[in-house]
Amino acid sequence: MKIAILSGKGGTGKTTLSMNLAYMLKHAVVVDADVEEPNLELFLKGHVERTLPVFKSYPVIDENKCTLCGACGDFCVYNALLPARKGVLIHKELCHDCGGCAVVCKQGAIHYEDRSIGTLTERKVLDYQSLYTGRLSVGEVSGVKIIETLKEIVAEEPFVLIDSPPGTSCATVAAVEDVDYAILVTEPTPFGLSDMKMVVEMLQNMSIPFGVVINKAGIGDDSVTLFCEINNISILGEIPFSKEYAAVYSRGGLLAEERSEYQDYLREMIKHFPLDIAEDAVGGDR
Amino acid sequence: MKIAVPAKGMTKADMADDRFGRAAYYVIYDSETKEVYGVENTAKDEVSGAGGQAVRLLDKEGVKVTLVPEVGPKALQAFKAFDIKAYTYGKDMTVEAAIEEYEAGKLQIVETESHDGHHGLRRA
Amino acid sequence: MLNEIVVISGKGGTGKTTLVAAMLAYLDSVVVADCDVDAPDLHILLHGEEIYKSEFSGLQRPTIDKETCISCGLCHEHCKFNAITEGIDLLRSKCEGCSLCAYICPTKSITMQDAVVGTIYHRSIANGDFVYGRLIPGEETSGKLVSAVRQKAKQLAHQKEIETMIIDGAPGIACNVIASITGASQVVIVTEPTVSGLHDLQRVYELVQRFRVKATVVVNKSDLSDEGLQAIRNYCHEEGLLLALEIPFNRQIVESISALKLPPEGAPEFYRTLHFEKFMQSIGAL
Repeated sequence: MKIAILSGKGGTGKTTLSMNLAYMLKHAVVVDADVEEPNLELFLKGHVERTLPVFKSYPVIDENKCTLCGACGDFCVYNALLPARKGVLIHKELCHDCGGCAVVCKQGAIHYEDRSIGTLTERKVLDYQSLYTGRLSVGEVSGVKIIETLKEIVAEEPFVLIDSPPGTSCATVAAVEDVDYAILVTEPTPFGLSDMKMVVEMLQNMSIPFGVVINKAGIGDDSVTLFCEINNISILGEIPFSKEYAAVYSRGGLLAEERSEYQDYLREMIKHFPLDIAEDAVGGDR
Repeated sequence: MKIAVPAKGMTKADMADDRFGRAAYYVIYDSETKEVYGVENTAKDEVSGAGGQAVRLLDKEGVKVTLVPEVGPKALQAFKAFDIKAYTYGKDMTVEAAIEEYEAGKLQIVETESHDGHHGLRRA
Repeated sequence: MLNEIVVISGKGGTGKTTLVAAMLAYLDSVVVADCDVDAPDLHILLHGEEIYKSEFSGLQRPTIDKETCISCGLCHEHCKFNAITEGIDLLRSKCEGCSLCAYICPTKSITMQDAVVGTIYHRSIANGDFVYGRLIPGEETSGKLVSAVRQKAKQLAHQKEIETMIIDGAPGIACNVIASITGASQVVIVTEPTVSGLHDLQRVYELVQRFRVKATVVVNKSDLSDEGLQAIRNYCHEEGLLLALEIPFNRQIVESISALKLPPEGAPEFYRTLHFEKFMQSIGAL
């Protein structure tokens, strides 16, 4: 069972909900797939078990075989290869690793080598739960490969919570692909609603069942609630806006640990999950 | 010898562009025949690597010298690989003015031999 | 010279769009672009007439002619993105448009065709022009759409000889952000005084430094945590970064947004006491 926690825009409380659900559901393995800005480990801390580099391939040219015919450069739509007068220039970071240049090279002058684009860290946090964090190196353009690697690692785990990248980009698609359920965190503002609609469209296109959590309830308006009612979208719960909650977050605290009423919000929320999801979720309830 | 200048139009009277790889056109000037013509930069809308593709285009035109505004590290590598010399001009000048300054020896050559390399970061 | 100011934030939800909206209230003639193509929000606040709307094609995708296809499976075998099924059907969301399938197909049954990945809009607003992009949820090549939106906005600024251009950049550190800040005059980084706010500020500033672009920091919700604020002040001091503005939390800002007003219109006194004009001067916008 895999549950993705996602949001249309950043800062709605996606990471807050992820860490607190992780605290409540102690059998959960947690994945931070927000690889551009992985923040869960700042809150869940714990200790590092291992860190591994994540690799992506790039083409390497055997200059003795290369005739500078230019076929690889003509083929590559990403401009990762530039056949010049003295040799072929390679821009590793532009390579999507499609494997095409080696196929089109009639001289067999191209092979692939690996380079690191980020890391994957396993920590033990809370009740000896595993937290897997993906981290994209600064300057890299895409974290999809890291997200895919994370998902391979937890493929056999019985119960997984995935903190997904915000928005609806290819990275989000990679994170939520083949999850059993998604929790969409939003805030009750015009911006929150607009961004959430895009995620709803994405999840519906991908046929992933989902429910909505309204964070910071009480600020803004009721347009999110109305939208959910009209479109028959299940509202799993509401967490009221509180400056105190924001203060706990700001210093890296865990709300469910510090505030008992916050635990109640989460328990109530879990009750609203679809039956099969809820059963799996409460397997290790606190 | 052919000299190319990134420009907003196809003539010498047009303004030189403040970007190299993403310029709309290149004005090419032959210093021997004094012939001038413009080419469209077919690489300008590339997601990435526009600079390198633009250098490739200029090489096909037989260009040996390019006058550039600022230039990213990838285009620099490409100039080196294609044996094209690059000289920098200042802001807000016409193609003609840039060529005049080049011919008067007022422009500085861009060092293409070494670069510490923020490889590929200029263009996403 | 065009002053192209890009507002970014490593972490989402720090108030990037809200800051852009506030800046707009101070400008008489401006071109503004929303490059957060995953979750564009500014159009909700910026009313005006739509002048132009065009579909954007960022890549080519294969079309398979089932009449001539002999189901040899070569395309399926060669596709590293698993975008072609064994039954030779395209999985659109996985395809990165490399065109290897079209190259490898022995019967030439696969052709590459432009694929629409988003839309670019141009609106005229009270004090200028507004360009924004919207990515189809889950699509690839958002970086390219960002570049196209910026290019369109830049064209307008040049045509109309407007000196100030404000860009609502994308969150994160990957391709969208890189495309947002490439070649800009300066960036304004919005953060908040939380552990994650500082962490994400550090990452995004590391990226900004590689582009040798001038950076200014704004702290939003600055009264959330004294400790957090001090940590950000210290970081800016160490890095020689100008911390130009600290904005405390104010409900009126959220209320203005909910009422679809620019924040300084909803809370004029608050922005006066902030000396927001001085901030605008510090980035050369006034």
